[in-house]
Amino acid sequence: MKTKLTLGVAISTLLAMPAFAEGTLNLYTWSDSIAPELIKKFEESTGTTVNIDGFNSNEDALTKLQAGSSGYDVVTPSQHFVKIMIDQGLLENIDAKDMAAFAQVDDKWKNQWWDPDSNYSIPLAYGTAGYTVNRDEYSGPVDSWKAYFEPDESMKGKIASLASPDEVIGAAELYLGVPFCTEDKAEMKKVYDLLMAQKPYVAAYSSDNIENRVGSGEVAMHFWWDGNSLKTRLDGANIEYAMPKEGLVGWLDSFVVPKGASNVAAAKEFINFMSQEENATIQYNYYAHSSPVKIDVSKAKYTPENAPELFPTVPMEFSRACSPAAQDLITKVWTDLLQ
Amino acid sequence: MRRGFRFWGLVPAWVLMLGTLLIPLMIVAIVSVAQRGAYGGFEWAFTLEPYRQILFSVGWTDELEFDPKYLFVIGRTLVLAGATTLICMMLALPVAYVIATRTPRMKTVLIYLVTLPFWVSMIVRVYAWLIILGNDGFVGRIWHALGGQGTLLFTPGAMLVGMVYSYIPLMVLPVFAAIEKLDPALLEAGGDLYASRWTTARRVILPLTWPGLAAGSILVFVPALGTVLEPMLLGGGKQMMMGTLIQTQFGSARNWPFGAAIALVLMVMVVIVLVLNARRAMRKEARS
Repeated sequence: MKTKLTLGVAISTLLAMPAFAEGTLNLYTWSDSIAPELIKKFEESTGTTVNIDGFNSNEDALTKLQAGSSGYDVVTPSQHFVKIMIDQGLLENIDAKDMAAFAQVDDKWKNQWWDPDSNYSIPLAYGTAGYTVNRDEYSGPVDSWKAYFEPDESMKGKIASLASPDEVIGAAELYLGVPFCTEDKAEMKKVYDLLMAQKPYVAAYSSDNIENRVGSGEVAMHFWWDGNSLKTRLDGANIEYAMPKEGLVGWLDSFVVPKGASNVAAAKEFINFMSQEENATIQYNYYAHSSPVKIDVSKAKYTPENAPELFPTVPMEFSRACSPAAQDLITKVWTDLLQ
Repeated sequence: MRRGFRFWGLVPAWVLMLGTLLIPLMIVAIVSVAQRGAYGGFEWAFTLEPYRQILFSVGWTDELEFDPKYLFVIGRTLVLAGATTLICMMLALPVAYVIATRTPRMKTVLIYLVTLPFWVSMIVRVYAWLIILGNDGFVGRIWHALGGQGTLLFTPGAMLVGMVYSYIPLMVLPVFAAIEKLDPALLEAGGDLYASRWTTARRVILPLTWPGLAAGSILVFVPALGTVLEPMLLGGGKQMMMGTLIQTQFGSARNWPFGAAIALVLMVMVVIVLVLNARRAMRKEARS
């Protein structure tokens, strides 16, 4: 009897746990993407405890939400995954358009195709994916994707790509003039042929440790993101972020709240907090990616003069949410490539 | 009372087995015969499509054709895991022998050193090799000083080095346990009967340490089959392994059922290895 009682107490204590968790906010963001200074400031001003988990690909974030009861209150996926998550009913309608944060958003990012009524998402950062060259290793032109996808002989084993197809295939499509998410097999075969011809020049398909690989000259060219390239250059690496005339692959990450989040109020409070001009500026200076919300330009660390990476002079084409048939073709290109 | 404890005492173990092994396994099995969801996930409808996909896929010409690409991935993974196991075995035998023949105090220290890498995260250990083999690293510099060209990284060799390094403690420990139990008198007897050192190693040490080697092989081979980190970071990810293939299916490919099917195939392979090994051990036991 006594054991039963103890067990009962233990179980009810366990069940009561969430009640103690009232004052916590669980974030699931791109790794190291939120300024630690702001997390501290938010915790101090609201008394909420903030926990952060990081993800390294949109697919990871989506998979986690699909698996159900992730326990997260705020997630920061990119535009095409926001669309998929909305369509799949994975997100909480937070009436984003009525939030204080929404007033801070630049008009051109409002009511976009991924969230046409601005019910679910508040943008946080945007930028581009392209390629970076190490100027000690490569002195040729970088005004086209040609230098990267159809390199000259000297680049054998000196090029690196990413470990996942998402943006790499998008870039190859831009170069070839193939529309994103095409279901046309003949078009995707062209993409496959291009990447296959590039493979002998590729040293690694890896999304980790890019700073070192291209910064140290281990490879001469690397598929990469604008802000990361910028930060590494400012740290002293002799690198340049290319501006290919065919265009760069654009992305925009937004704050969203997963369905069933336990602390929606705190989540919205956090999103509003992050979008205040002062905090958005701190975030911009930390993350080094463009800000879709108003920032204090006089305090901004990155300007068109010292950070051309963030102010592209070429078109920007956003990745889209592909149909299953189109996605299968992308997967086929990628698995056939890595044989 | 004792009887009650024998039952109740095992309950936590059963709950653990059921909750963390059998139920998740059944979920994987169910997903592997379900319909894929358009954007990941799965729908409740039975299909053997994921298994068909392992052997047949729609080619660039729009026809369903026999496509051995996944078989190549499976074969490549088996070869890599096998090579890792073999190299670990060859290196672990002398190492374990040396450790086993030291003084008890020294033995403790050496065994501790063998297990030391486990205190460090796997990712950090693999990154260490990234630095060692890199152009500015210790081995990389020697390689260039000797006239080597290009980089040592992103090669099958680099991948194998990383794999052997990661898994060798799992081989050394059981082999050490087996060698330690070896009666030195048997070795002396071999010597007295004019067996050369080589013959003694082959005819006396090897058969007697075989159980340790077998256990070590399983401990190395099985996790090596599912490895993701070393092929990606050290091998440069130019060729897919089963681990990466499964990851891709749950990630960017949004094809969970196919990922689950491949995972099950991987597991069936592991079980086959284990069963073969167990049968061999049983036969050996019966003979002696």
